[in-house]
Amino acid sequence: MTRRRNGSLWLDTAAIAAWGFLFLKYWLTEKLYLLIHPNYFWLTVAAGFVLLGLALVRAILVIRYPFAGTSGPHLSLFPPGWSRWLLMGTAIAGLLVSPRAFASQTALERGISDGLTVTRVRPQAFRATVKPEDRSIVDWVRTLTVYPEPDAYTGQRVSVKGFVVHSPETSPNYLLISRFIITCCAADAYPVSLPVKLPEGQRRDAYKPDSWQQVEGQMVTETLAGKRQLVIQATALSAVEEPRNPYDY
Amino acid sequence: MDLTRLNNAFTLFLSLLVEAMPFLLLGVMFSSILLFFVEERFLLRWLPKNPFLGALAGSCVGFLFPVCECGNVPVARRLLMQGVPSPVAIGFLLAAPTINPIVFWATWIAFRDQPEVVFLRIAFSLTIATVIGWVFSTQSNLRPFLQPNVARAMPLLPEERAGEPSLLRSGTYWLGASKKSDRLTVADLQIASAASLSMVNQPLTNKLYLLLENMMQELRELGGVLVLGSAIAATIQVFTPRDVVLSLGQGPVTSILAMMLLAAIVSICSTVDSFFALSFASTFTTGSLLSFLVFGPMIDLKAVGLMLSIFKPRAVFYLFMLAGQLVFLFSLFVNLYLS
Repeated sequence: MTRRRNGSLWLDTAAIAAWGFLFLKYWLTEKLYLLIHPNYFWLTVAAGFVLLGLALVRAILVIRYPFAGTSGPHLSLFPPGWSRWLLMGTAIAGLLVSPRAFASQTALERGISDGLTVTRVRPQAFRATVKPEDRSIVDWVRTLTVYPEPDAYTGQRVSVKGFVVHSPETSPNYLLISRFIITCCAADAYPVSLPVKLPEGQRRDAYKPDSWQQVEGQMVTETLAGKRQLVIQATALSAVEEPRNPYDY
Repeated sequence: MDLTRLNNAFTLFLSLLVEAMPFLLLGVMFSSILLFFVEERFLLRWLPKNPFLGALAGSCVGFLFPVCECGNVPVARRLLMQGVPSPVAIGFLLAAPTINPIVFWATWIAFRDQPEVVFLRIAFSLTIATVIGWVFSTQSNLRPFLQPNVARAMPLLPEERAGEPSLLRSGTYWLGASKKSDRLTVADLQIASAASLSMVNQPLTNKLYLLLENMMQELRELGGVLVLGSAIAATIQVFTPRDVVLSLGQGPVTSILAMMLLAAIVSICSTVDSFFALSFASTFTTGSLLSFLVFGPMIDLKAVGLMLSIFKPRAVFYLFMLAGQLVFLFSLFVNLYLS
């Protein structure tokens, strides 16, 4: 009985420590970028240190006073011991399985091609002085929200980076170059994109969905899927590494 | 099963946990500090006796405890166990995630250009939490609504102490422990060991030790529920197309229902939910944004999981129905008359 009780004290301590490790591991391996907005990193990092500290103090106490500790009636819905294993199991799963950034399948499911997402982006600052080729996908979409007439941008140079989405609504010589925006965590990630018309003779099969590309070209106005809109007439696409921080804000 | 989807669900699940766990930790810390360093009598002394004013005061207590909906549950449970009147505890449970400085600040940052959203959010949350706390005050003995272990830890009401024949009381009788052969219940033991306010008078080292043990226990139990709630939220979010939810969102009525549903599914922390709502600001009605911001912190999948550690399912259902209907009516009023 005592041994069993001691075991559960150690399991508790190990589970809390595992969560502390998990948070700090995500921070140090920059996986936190895939999960939450950088503004809230400090909370997770602080929590990681506090959890590790708690586990350390608890471990010292368990060693010094092996039979002490409160065993007050247990508080929750689970049979005793379940939450320990649930916490431990989740922390281990988190340490073993790496989170992955959302990609084109999620983008399509979250309505990238229905135009709704575009209007959800609110301009945070309108900077008319920014050179067109310095704008990111998000900058372009925000600019378009403020002044949606596509002709106003015709001929402007474009250089944007994002991942490839094959929209079923456009012909095979078009693809969507996309980014996810997160405001808090991956739970609210939503996609924004710009249509790309591939250089003459190329088909989108050459650019796999989810692959990251740098797209160079200039803006033209076209009618796609029955809608008059701004399209990048690409002159060159080059494969790039997935950035450490795949989301935009 | 589709592997990408599974991976997305796992990523979402982790992101909810990574975002929520620090707040849970903060809540557990506040809750434990409240337990060991704040005199119940002190709290009770300045809380109004009147149920309505009590509910209002409870709703405002959140300003002292900057915790979101994963953090307020342990505090509310602690308050109930310490014998704080139910309107106060329920007012606190429903309002604290919204009526606190951090959430106010975050909402202000997000909706600076629509200040009415910030102030209506505060006003609606305060009103609804107070009304529901008031409604619950009609149930003078809250125990039938509570999980047995919380109910046991609550101090007896004066009329219960007087009215109950001592031999019919349940509990362990400690022979020789007292000449009056007073019984000792699990609740008394818990009060003596962990939930008691006599702890306030313990030596500091004892207190710190018990503080740690209490934090570990709450972290374990509530953490387990949070894990389960986040798993459910992530699963629903990945396996229900978001378009289905969003396509409901244009009319004055359907947009409110859609946003309330979304709030319940996404289970996002109240500290950061205004940024989430901001991304819907241009497509959704003001009333529906408010319904998201007021309803979400009160009731969502994750919080329901945590609330079940205090209340029986029946009581959570009442809270859910009352909060849902009031939020709906208030938001509809905004949609029809204010915007």
